[in-house]
Amino acid sequence: MYSILVNLLPVLVERSAAGPPHPARPELAVLWRAHQLSATSNAVTASGFAALDVELPGGGWPHRVLTELLLPHPGLGELRLLVPALVRIAGASSSRQDGGRSVMLFDPPAALCGPALVQLGVDARQLLAVHGREGVRATAGLRRWLPSADLLWAIEQALKSGHVGAVLAWLPQRLRADALRRLQLAAQSHDGPAFLFREVDARLKPSAAPLRLLLQGAGIDRLSVRLLKRRGPPLAQPLLLALPPILSERLRARSRDESVAAAVEPRLETSAIDG
Amino acid sequence: MLWIAVHLPQLSLESFAATLDPTWQGRPLALIEAHRIAQVDARAAALGVQPGAKRATALALASDLVLGEADAARDASALQAVGHAALAFTPMVCHEATDGAGTPAPVVLLEVQASLRCFGGLRPLLQQLGQALRPLGHRCRVASAPTALGAALLARWRDDLAHGAHSTDLTALRRLLDDAPVWLLGPGREHWEALQGMGLKQLSDLRHLPRAGLARRFGVGLLADLDRARGDAPDPREPIVPPPKFEQRIELFSRADNAEQLLAGARVLIARLLAWARARHARVSAFTLRMHHEARRGDAAGHSELTIGLAEPSADAVHLQSLLGERLVRTPLVAPVLELSLRCDALVQSSPPSGELFATRSSEREGLTRLIERLQARLGADGVRRLVLLADHRPERAMAWRSAEAGLRAPIQPATPASIAPTRPLWLLPEPQPLHEQAARPWLDGGPLQLLAGPERIESGWWDGALTARDYFIARANDGALVWIFRARLPLAPASDGSGWFLQGRFA
Repeated sequence: MYSILVNLLPVLVERSAAGPPHPARPELAVLWRAHQLSATSNAVTASGFAALDVELPGGGWPHRVLTELLLPHPGLGELRLLVPALVRIAGASSSRQDGGRSVMLFDPPAALCGPALVQLGVDARQLLAVHGREGVRATAGLRRWLPSADLLWAIEQALKSGHVGAVLAWLPQRLRADALRRLQLAAQSHDGPAFLFREVDARLKPSAAPLRLLLQGAGIDRLSVRLLKRRGPPLAQPLLLALPPILSERLRARSRDESVAAAVEPRLETSAIDG
Repeated sequence: MLWIAVHLPQLSLESFAATLDPTWQGRPLALIEAHRIAQVDARAAALGVQPGAKRATALALASDLVLGEADAARDASALQAVGHAALAFTPMVCHEATDGAGTPAPVVLLEVQASLRCFGGLRPLLQQLGQALRPLGHRCRVASAPTALGAALLARWRDDLAHGAHSTDLTALRRLLDDAPVWLLGPGREHWEALQGMGLKQLSDLRHLPRAGLARRFGVGLLADLDRARGDAPDPREPIVPPPKFEQRIELFSRADNAEQLLAGARVLIARLLAWARARHARVSAFTLRMHHEARRGDAAGHSELTIGLAEPSADAVHLQSLLGERLVRTPLVAPVLELSLRCDALVQSSPPSGELFATRSSEREGLTRLIERLQARLGADGVRRLVLLADHRPERAMAWRSAEAGLRAPIQPATPASIAPTRPLWLLPEPQPLHEQAARPWLDGGPLQLLAGPERIESGWWDGALTARDYFIARANDGALVWIFRARLPLAPASDGSGWFLQGRFA
């Protein structure tokens, strides 16, 4: 018995990453232990960030399930987080062929800028924006409290049809649990990732989505991602991800210096913006 | 020659049931003609209602009986729809509404010898015929024989002959017909009492008698029918031709007040429309539903029309019904509807898309087109939009979200070389949001903005009156989010207060 314990010891101290548990003990492959991430049988789309892919079960954004992204306000960098996955799904903007699958956005908080997408490399031809019958919201500050029945119906139809490559939906705070469960059921016939963007307060409410991430700003071009819920052990520390940069390194350094100094009147820069 | 006869014993009752509200499904039905019950369905017959009874007797026996008027025109349109469904299998289709003596016994006859090889034999053809007739909602009895009238007689005969009523050669047919009762023939039904009095019950009895005597007593019609049924005399028939335009109406039994009742009535019309479209080997690309309203006090009876156009022509009943259902739910009804009519003259003759087991690029595109059509039917044409890039320096006009036309592909975008393009935010506010200024800095969300990069001067639009002259900056907000703000060099509105700082977008 002592020898068995000694044999098990090196297996117990392995890292909590996905993968075969121990090459010399193949029978442990069918046993799931609590420190491992679950091995999903669904396909995944790699998120493009290595630090995030390691922590996601399956190694990327899961297909056929909902993924919830909670953020305090739009404009943190949440779309730049998804851009590498969208490039894989929709196709690159530089390619001439129509090779990608469509991406549908439901009720985005503002208009998505086409030239910015082209710069980031997403094929803008594959994008479709769906709005309810009330029309596009006028200002970014206006928030609707209740989701319209039309919007939920439209998301469910898109998920059930199975012909959409990726679904991005912005839902307001008061979403009933059974509406979310219904969307999760509909997502099972959707071969692609489905992202739901919600308010930060929703993290206190239970949700049927198997993957929940809390996004917070952590400086310029950096995003702090906390995995609230995933199929596997919870992650204590938030991940710091470097997003596709808007500002150059020099300007980022200058902003760190200036944030310490007192407020002065804005100096007009004569140099052009660097890539 | 091989003829298939499809007998529809309850055609009148079924065409009447199509005009009823769907919540009246389980009630017994009966048809009245000349103040007497003409036809009853199985439920009413189980309760004791017989043809020939008076209305009061029938209502006393079955209190929730639904009584309708027998209408030959309604039955004729239902029979025509069945004929159109059969035209998908062979061009030689004809129908008989009565059996030659005036008794309604509707039969549709198809000559299928030339189609047997295409459909893989008689049994598969019969199965596919059954599937094609199922959406029309009629119970049918099918029989086949080398002669047309022989097949019609076999189909009208008895229910339990359905399996054995297929004869492929003349001797088998003659043997079957020998046992058939005399009242199957039209003239036989007229002279039934006389024939019975003489002890002539079956067609074999008729055959053994001298022909001249039979012709003198009962007329040449009886012998002619017998000869044609047995194949001793030729039986030329005229095929039916589907009309170039589809126009059918049904009169609803009770007024329709809401969309569900309208949709139930329109379901039958859509099934007939698709049968007609299949008969012409084409698919539907647009149809019009006309609802005739009841006349209100003071106004004449009006009608309202609903036109459904399809991005890709389709012959799928479920898809057409769902599109019509979504439109009906959105359309307000001005008055209760008494009658529905469906009109269609937009057909597309092209080969249908091939069904595939695994999703491919073309089937996915088609599925996406149908999804967009469904979403637009409910949310309006503006509900689903596509991105179109325009060549303009003003950021809010450099692109437009235009309503997606489901069938068309997105236009090819002009290629923007990424290396020299300026940086743009992903979220763009449609209207710039004014920011208030404090201590010579713009403020957003309770904190000062720190300007990091800029200015990028955009001055454009003198030609269409929306002149913009702005200096754009990238600024950092409190939590590290980047925003795109500008300072207008020309005031946006003459009475706007203060600073001139505006928020245009956020870097997401």
